[in-house]
Amino acid sequence: MAIRAQLFVTCLAEQFFPNVLKGMVALLERLGVEAVFPEAQTCCGQPFFNSGYRTQARELALKWLDVFGKTDGFIVSPSGSCVDMVRHHFPELFRPGSADHKRAVEIGARTVEFTQFLVNQLKVTDVGARFPGKVTYHASCHLLRGLGAREEPKALLRGVDGVELIPLPGEDTCCGFGGVFSVIYPEVSQSMMKAKVQAIDSTGADVVVACDAGCIMNIAGGLRKAGSPVRAMHLIEVLTAGRGAS
Amino acid sequence: MRDEILGKVRESLGRRSGTVPPSIPPTARVPPRKAGDAETEVAQLLTEIGKLSGVTRRLANRDELRVAVAELINVENVKKATLWTTPDLVGWDVAGMLRSLGVEIIPPQADKRLVAACELGVTGVDAALPETGTLLLRSSPERPRIVSLVPRVHLAILTPAALRPDLHEAFADTKEAGYSVLVTGPSRTADIELTLTLGVHGPKSLYAWVLDES
Amino acid sequence: MSHQPTSIDFRANVQQVPSTMPPAVQKATTKFLGNRAALVDALGNDFWQQLRQAGHEVRLHAITHLDYYLEQAERQVIQAGGHVHWARDAEEAQRVVIDIARTHRAKLAVKSKSMATEEIGLNHAMEAAGIRVLETDLGEYIVQLKGMGPAHIVVPAFHLSKEEIADLFREKLGIEAPAEAEKLTQIARMKLREEFLAADLGISGGNFLVAETGTIVTVTNEGNGRMCCTVPPVHVAVVGIDKVVPDWESLTVLLKLLARSATGQKLSCYTQFISGPPRTDAETGPKEFHLILLDNGRTRILQSPETRETLLCIRCGACLNICPVYNHVGGYAYGYPISGPTGVMFASQILGSKAAGALPFASTLCGACNDICPVKIPITEILLHLRRRVVEGDDLEGAAAPYSLRVGAQIGAVALGTPWLYRVGSRMLKRLQVPFVQEGWMANLPGPLSRWTMARPFPAFAADFRRWWRRRSDRT
Repeated sequence: MAIRAQLFVTCLAEQFFPNVLKGMVALLERLGVEAVFPEAQTCCGQPFFNSGYRTQARELALKWLDVFGKTDGFIVSPSGSCVDMVRHHFPELFRPGSADHKRAVEIGARTVEFTQFLVNQLKVTDVGARFPGKVTYHASCHLLRGLGAREEPKALLRGVDGVELIPLPGEDTCCGFGGVFSVIYPEVSQSMMKAKVQAIDSTGADVVVACDAGCIMNIAGGLRKAGSPVRAMHLIEVLTAGRGAS
Repeated sequence: MRDEILGKVRESLGRRSGTVPPSIPPTARVPPRKAGDAETEVAQLLTEIGKLSGVTRRLANRDELRVAVAELINVENVKKATLWTTPDLVGWDVAGMLRSLGVEIIPPQADKRLVAACELGVTGVDAALPETGTLLLRSSPERPRIVSLVPRVHLAILTPAALRPDLHEAFADTKEAGYSVLVTGPSRTADIELTLTLGVHGPKSLYAWVLDES
Repeated sequence: MSHQPTSIDFRANVQQVPSTMPPAVQKATTKFLGNRAALVDALGNDFWQQLRQAGHEVRLHAITHLDYYLEQAERQVIQAGGHVHWARDAEEAQRVVIDIARTHRAKLAVKSKSMATEEIGLNHAMEAAGIRVLETDLGEYIVQLKGMGPAHIVVPAFHLSKEEIADLFREKLGIEAPAEAEKLTQIARMKLREEFLAADLGISGGNFLVAETGTIVTVTNEGNGRMCCTVPPVHVAVVGIDKVVPDWESLTVLLKLLARSATGQKLSCYTQFISGPPRTDAETGPKEFHLILLDNGRTRILQSPETRETLLCIRCGACLNICPVYNHVGGYAYGYPISGPTGVMFASQILGSKAAGALPFASTLCGACNDICPVKIPITEILLHLRRRVVEGDDLEGAAAPYSLRVGAQIGAVALGTPWLYRVGSRMLKRLQVPFVQEGWMANLPGPLSRWTMARPFPAFAADFRRWWRRRSDRT
C-alpha cells in the first residue's frame, strides 16, 4: 500500500531552490511514496511569528491549516524551521481547548521534516544515491534543536555512495541567518556567516550540505562572496545528483 | 516598601498571604553521591585537592604531625601564626608545636592588622568532600572566620572522620551554624587574559593534612 | 554603565565593537565551555539532565511561591540578629545603603562582585554621597579603574590584555607594573589588602538566599567575597528577590549546577553561607549585617506568566558563553551590566520595551542557550514573547515599535497569504530582477535590501515548481 506525502514546499525553497523540490518529488516517488502538492499553500507565517507579529502569523497559520486540513497522511517538508513552526508554534497562536488549537496539534503531529520522514517513517537511510566527493554537513538550528534531528541527515549522507563525510568544526553553531535577524543586525549576521565560511573552508570539503533554505541562502552567498569554490547544496540535491527530476 | 513588594508578588502569582506552598516535588531532588570505602574516599579527597594546587599529606600520628609542621614553617617562612581553638587542635597542641619552633601565636580576636601580618592560619575541618576536594569550615568562638581567610598560608588538619559523601550530609550538620564556608583549593582568578593565578585575596597556599590518629 | 540606560541601540553599539573583541570573547568562552563539557561528561549526561530538571523545578517552585519564601527568609535573618530592608527600586536601594553608611560614618566601602549593585548604579550613587567604593573582584577592580562596566558577568575584564592592565595600574595606581598576570595579581592583592583592612563597610550581593535559615550564599574564587563579608565592621548584602531558594536540599542541586555551568569548576573556591551577623565576637566578623531585598522590576517580570521564568536565572553565564551573537560582539554591545541571552531577558523587562526593545531581536533564535541553561529556562520562547511585546504590545505594555511597521506586516501577510497575489508577486519579482542578476545572484540591492547584500549576494528568484508540477500532472 503506497504511502502518500503531502508536499509542504515552503516559500523560500519555492522561490529560490525549485530543484530541491523537484528532487524531493523524484526521490519520494523512487521510494514508492505518492507525492501530492496542495496548490493553495503559500507561507506558514514563520517570519511574522519570529518578528513578533502574532496577529499576522495567526492569519497565515489559519490559512495553512485550511489548506493542509483538507489532506490526510503525512505532510512532508524540506525545511526544519518551517516544520518546527507548524509543530511547536502554531498551537501557541490559538487558545488551548479551541477548535483551531486542536486542529493545529493534530495536523502538526503529521507534519514531518524530510530527513526524519525518510529515516524514521520509511526506515530508509540508503536511497541508492551516488555522489563522489568530500562533503561537510552544517546542522541547521531549528532542525537540530527544534526537531531533534541530529542523526537523520547524517545517516542519509553516510548512505550515499562515494561521499567522504568530513566533520565541520562548529557544526552546531548558527550560521547567522536567523531570518529577519540577517537584515535587522547585518553586521552580526555577516560576522557569524564569515565564521561559518571559514570553518567550511578549513575542512577541505568540495560541498557543504544543509537541510534548510535559509541557511543555504546565507552560506552559499557567503561562499560566493569569499570567492570560495565550495558549493552549498541541500541534502536532497546530493541524494538526487546525476539522476535529475523526471 | 515591604508590603508593596509582597503585595505585587502575591497579585502576580494569584496567591493569598500566608498560604503554605505544596511540598517540593521529588523530581526537584537528586540523590546524594554514594561513598566508597574509607580509604578510597580519603585518597580521592587528597587527589582532588592536589588537582587544585593544594598540598596534601597523610600523617599517621602526632609525631609525624610535629615533623610536618616544622617542615611547613621552614618552607613557608612562617614567623607568626593564628589558630582555631577547637578540641582537636588543642588536643594535638599545634600551638605548642609552633611556639617551640619560634613562631609567635597571634589570637584571632586581636586587631585585624596584627592577624593580617600572620603568614599562617591553622584550622580544623568540619566536613570534607572527596568528590570536589572541598573542606567545609564553620564559624564559632573556637573557629574564627579570619583564621582561614587572611594569612597567606592556610593549613587545615582533619581526620578521616570528617569525610562526608556529599554536600547533603555536610549541610545537614552545619546549616544551622550561622556561618560556614566551602573551601575548594587556594584562592584563584583567571581575570587577566584567562591566565590562572593563585593567591588573589584569600590564602595563596592551602595545605590539607589528614591525620589518622583520632 | 552604572546607571539605567534610557535607550539601547544594539546595532549602533555593535558598530562600535573593536575588532579585538570577538577573538578575546571566543578565547574566554571556548575555555569555559570546554571545561564545562569535561565535567558534564564526567557526571554522565543522564545525571546532568536529571540535575537540570531538578534545578528548574526548585527555582520554579521558589519563584511561584516567592512571597512565602521571602517572608520566611526575612524572619530567619531577623531572628539571627540581622536587619532586613526592602527596596522597590534602584533609588530606594541606594538610599538604604547610603543611610547605613552615614550611620556608621563610613568613608570607604569595599565591594565584591554583584550584578544587582551594578544594575542599580550603587557605586555612582555612593560616590556622589561622598563615600569611596572600591570593587575588589580583580576583574571588576580593573574595569573600575578603567571607568567601564563588566564585559562578561564572570570575567569582567577578559577583553583587556595584560599590557593594557599594566599600563592601567601604572597610570591609576602610580606603580611600576610589569605585564605579567602573576605580578599584576600580586599588586592588586597588596593594594586591596590595605583597603580591606581600612574599610568601614563591606558590600556584597548574594548568589542565593536560602529561606529555610535566612542564609545568603556567595560563590566566588578570589576570596574578596569573604573579605568583604568578614573584615569590615558592617556588612550589607544587596540581593534580588528572585534569588530565593526554599531550602538547603534545593540549594545543593543548584550548587552542583552553578560552577560547572559557569567556568567548568566542580565548585568555586569559596562558597560562603551567611545567616545574619556572627553570634559572638570571638568568631570575628562584622558587628552588623544588613540584607536589602531588591525588587527593581522583578515583580513586573513576575506579572507575565509567559516570561516569568526569566527569574529562574542563577547567573552562571553559560548562555553568554554559547551564544553565537554574544561571541561576535561581547558584553558592551548590550548596553547593560548583564549581557548575552539572560541579559536580553532581564534588560528588556526591567527597562521596558521603549528603552530596550532592540534587544529581544539581538538573537537568531538558534536555541543553543536553551540547551545549556542549567535550570532549563525556555529562553528563545521568552524572547519570542518579548518580540511580540515590542511590536504588538501585550497585557503588560503597549507596542513600542512604530505603528507603520504593523501596517507593513499586515500588507506583507496579505501578499504572502493570498495565493494568487503570492504567485503573481513571484512572477513579477522574476521579471523585475533581470537587470540585477548575474550568474544567478544579485550583488547590490537598493534600500533596505542592501542590509542583506552588504554581507553577501542575494539569490535570484527562480520559482518554477508549480509550472513543473502542473506539466507533470497533465502528462499523467
